[in-house]
Amino acid sequence: MTEFLQVVLSGLATGSIYALAAIGFTLLWQASQTINFAQGEFVMLPAFFVLIGMHVLGMPLIAAMIFALILSLILLGVIFKKFVIEPMLPHGTLPIVMATIALGILMKETVKEFYSAEAQPYPSLVADRTLDFFGAAVSTQDILNLVVSMLVVVALQFFLSGTRTGRSMQATAQNPQVAEILGVNIKRMVLYTFLINAALAAVASFLISPIYLAKFSNGEPIGLVAFIAAIVGGFNQIRGALVGGLLIGVVDNLAAIYVSAQYRAAVPLILLIVIILVRPQGLLGKAEGRAV
Amino acid sequence: MLELKDLYGGYGKMTILNGVSFKIDKATITTVIGPNGAGKSTVFKAIFGLLNIHSGQILLDGKDVTRQTPAQMISHGVTYVPQGRNIVPQLSVFHNLELGGITARDQGMVRRRMEMVMDQFPILREKRNQQAIALSGGQQKQLEIARALLLDPKLILIDEPSIGLSPNLVQEVFQTLIRLRDNGVTVLMVEQNAKSALAMSDYGIVLELGQTRMHDRADKLLADPRVGQLFLGGSTQKSVA
Repeated sequence: MTEFLQVVLSGLATGSIYALAAIGFTLLWQASQTINFAQGEFVMLPAFFVLIGMHVLGMPLIAAMIFALILSLILLGVIFKKFVIEPMLPHGTLPIVMATIALGILMKETVKEFYSAEAQPYPSLVADRTLDFFGAAVSTQDILNLVVSMLVVVALQFFLSGTRTGRSMQATAQNPQVAEILGVNIKRMVLYTFLINAALAAVASFLISPIYLAKFSNGEPIGLVAFIAAIVGGFNQIRGALVGGLLIGVVDNLAAIYVSAQYRAAVPLILLIVIILVRPQGLLGKAEGRAV
Repeated sequence: MLELKDLYGGYGKMTILNGVSFKIDKATITTVIGPNGAGKSTVFKAIFGLLNIHSGQILLDGKDVTRQTPAQMISHGVTYVPQGRNIVPQLSVFHNLELGGITARDQGMVRRRMEMVMDQFPILREKRNQQAIALSGGQQKQLEIARALLLDPKLILIDEPSIGLSPNLVQEVFQTLIRLRDNGVTVLMVEQNAKSALAMSDYGIVLELGQTRMHDRADKLLADPRVGQLFLGGSTQKSVA
């Protein structure tokens, strides 16, 4: 029982990071029909910005994180929107998918070429200790990950529902024609969405890198899992992406312990297939109607 | 108060408006009728800054408002209720209503206006905390009209308000528009349901092939045999048979 609790808790901690990436993924889809297949690389990259800040520019960790966050907002938010998505958007979804796949490869190879192909040690914000939680051993890093991710999700949810700007963003995502006739500044709302996605990716990167180390290829599993989490939860639902992320984190961990570590990578995919067969709109998703 | 001068425009290279001209007076109801594809809805989009205008002019109280953005038109006191469902489905009724005032600087004023508008449409107060998608078709239309009234507009453009509504509700919407006119608001409406719309309007405009064919008092248009012919799907011009 303690082992089970331990596995679930650490699954939730990893899953909460997946959830951040999945939520960003979902938000981009809602606001601009962007399917970002570089989302995994978006989570991989900010850790390297931190390392550059620390080792090249000699910043302390916190300063390097702020530096990395700002760089992420500019590169993964503004530049990504302006130079990748906007030129491709008029051509439809498929060209965007291809462009983001290409971008992902470019980011991965660039990091490998110019930084290192080796996994880089990445500093944690907390000393690595193990705490006792009802008999289960939980690492401080897991607790930090879970707490920070949940705080970010709650803050995001509050922003989207509790502020007029957030509700304007919802209007832009749910019914852009209406948002336009009401005078909502749609371009700005879409930009905010890209900035939020970049920030979510940066936070996910800061949290996951102490565990997996910073490596150019880290984006592959993360991007895949975020994509699956978004679909499992319902592509058009933030709550769905949250549930999907947590679920995959937990199921993945349980499978590694109780089934076989060799098959753990297959588990999210099996989950995806089952969900698509049984509930194609996702766990919390609503079927998307197409207006005539 | 609103004047269109020889307006040409369309989507991309496709031209839909081929020289629309008309002028409507303050505190009147004018209904635009015409066959499918005549450009009725397109005229509204042109006025509200949603259309590519090639040439011509739109004047509001004598001021040139051609090619302004929707947000600018709202600031001039113009609102637009397009046809179909125009709600944000997952936001509450209250927050849908609030979006009608998103461009306003004075949010205290928006709160007061929301209370007033909910007095006029009690069903919205009753359902204020429900998701807008839970409203019936008629209630959604009321929400859209209420939202359009939020900033106390002087001109309201309303496209096909009767679609999907029961005859009783259509009459209710028409009564709302008449009340607005009596309070000094100018109403410009497109309506399939041409006969009953003209019956409650002051003026009527017949559009065909993106041009103004007729513009007269509503009762005169109703009595005009050419208009009758139009309702039967014919043309106002004599056929070359």
